[in-house]
Amino acid sequence: MTSRLSPAVTALLDDPETIKILATVGADGAPHAVAKQSLHLGEDGCLHYLELLESSTTNKNMVRSLWFDGTVAITLAHRDGRSVQIKGRPIKVHITGELFQRHYRALRLSDPEADLASVWVIEPVAVTDQNARVRREAEAVRHPHFLHLDRLARAQ
Amino acid sequence: MVCVSRIPRRDEATFAEVLGAHPDFPRLIAIKIDVQRRGLHYTRRAMAAVDPTRHQIYMWEGVAYPHSMLLRDGTTILAYPQPRDRNPYDVDFIDGAFVLIDAGQVVETVELWPKPLYYDKKTSSGLPMKEVVSARPQRLDIFASSFCHFAHVDDQGCQFCPLPHHHSQLREAYDLPTRLKPEDVKECIAEALKEPGRFTNIHITGGSVIKGREMLDAELDYYIKLLRAIGEVFATPRFPSQLLASPFSEKQLIRLREETGLGSYTSNIEVLDEQRFNWICPGKAHHIGYREWKDRLVRAVDIFGRGNVNTGIVGGVETAAPHGFPSEAEALRATLDEAEDLAQKGVTTVHTVWAPQKGSKFSELRSPSLDYFIRLASGLQEIRARHGLSVDFDDYRRCGNHPDSDLARLQ
Repeated sequence: MTSRLSPAVTALLDDPETIKILATVGADGAPHAVAKQSLHLGEDGCLHYLELLESSTTNKNMVRSLWFDGTVAITLAHRDGRSVQIKGRPIKVHITGELFQRHYRALRLSDPEADLASVWVIEPVAVTDQNARVRREAEAVRHPHFLHLDRLARAQ
Repeated sequence: MVCVSRIPRRDEATFAEVLGAHPDFPRLIAIKIDVQRRGLHYTRRAMAAVDPTRHQIYMWEGVAYPHSMLLRDGTTILAYPQPRDRNPYDVDFIDGAFVLIDAGQVVETVELWPKPLYYDKKTSSGLPMKEVVSARPQRLDIFASSFCHFAHVDDQGCQFCPLPHHHSQLREAYDLPTRLKPEDVKECIAEALKEPGRFTNIHITGGSVIKGREMLDAELDYYIKLLRAIGEVFATPRFPSQLLASPFSEKQLIRLREETGLGSYTSNIEVLDEQRFNWICPGKAHHIGYREWKDRLVRAVDIFGRGNVNTGIVGGVETAAPHGFPSEAEALRATLDEAEDLAQKGVTTVHTVWAPQKGSKFSELRSPSLDYFIRLASGLQEIRARHGLSVDFDDYRRCGNHPDSDLARLQ
């Protein structure tokens, strides 16, 4: 399947120096944001990540999102200033099968202490460029009232 | 997507109507229940798409079909082909994927259970490994003995149970011994574990054997031998495992715990009401009794620990005609009250979905409504959560046949 993400976002996702944060929501509405460096682009054009703990809060929140059609947010941030937020919908989880076992073998090679609970599939719904300059320029165009007057004052 | 033949619905509320009354219940678990309740029918196109090199094939009543399915949330659906008059879901193969179809509409994409690598191999004694130890998506299954004293000696088998009949057929077909040899089982498990990431649990069960110095000693002795042989495969003294067996005495349970690496213990009471238990499970009632069964479960908690002991019920069989509860409301109230009593003492209850099977005495009866099963699954999970009990060893992944423990994924 063709990627639903732009080449720029895909490049950011692929960069090992990118920080990847997955934010989910609990039953009580509490946000839960954690680093998930395993986030990557799957062959199906969706985002995939490896969940190592069956009982983790993220895993439970992901199950809840899948069951009740909820969304999650992924932030990709690089020290060079690139930053995007991807809103997505968990649509599938692999707990067995070829893809699961392939990740399991690779994970165990890189970390012999690790186990794998699941491989989550997140369908991207919307991507927002979070780069500070881009966000500032967009706000200036769409909300010209949102600024302090001293920024517009003539230099004395 | 293409629709297949439209099947008239039974005289009951539609799936959407039932689910609409339970907005907090996951749709995928409701689908699982409904498929289990009504059964399946594989279309010719679906059967043609089944790949025996990748999918598990099972035999039931002389018919070969894909063993079972997975939904996209990892939920297992263990369901059997049913005749058209039971209004089964269709499984078709459309646009490169297997799909579940109800009344001509695609309701979900499904995957067939993947076949493990050891399935094509044979034991040193020449038995097909897949018939000695079968596989679920993440579990190794050992149906150790096709003999059940209640069914085969007393003719007092549980009235819903087709297993002695079914497993006798399988054993004849594959020339398997009535009771599996521990060495054969050990060899299969060692082979299965060569596939990394494939299994998380070992489940052992078989029919009841009451003989012995103390009643059930013969059954216990066999399981101890079997578990010790399996234990030789592992580097740790204890390993994730579940024994579903008769209700052993305290002395027997201590032996089971101390002499093996078993992780958890289950003894199925089947029906949580004494009067219905006596009718539905006459052999169990005669040899053990309802109250003693419950007491033995509670005593097992002291030995195996909270969260490691449960009992299974055949959800819905308590409504069986003519002596079951006259209404679903009464059946539900009585069942949950008893589950609450057990939970207070550390025993958690899981349910299967009763779908009357050929080969059982109840084969011509009808299972209760989808609404009933949704309330039952929710009720059992609420009780479990309220008492802080876990069901890790019998959950969506370690087992996959209990809608209530599917819900424990959020606990």
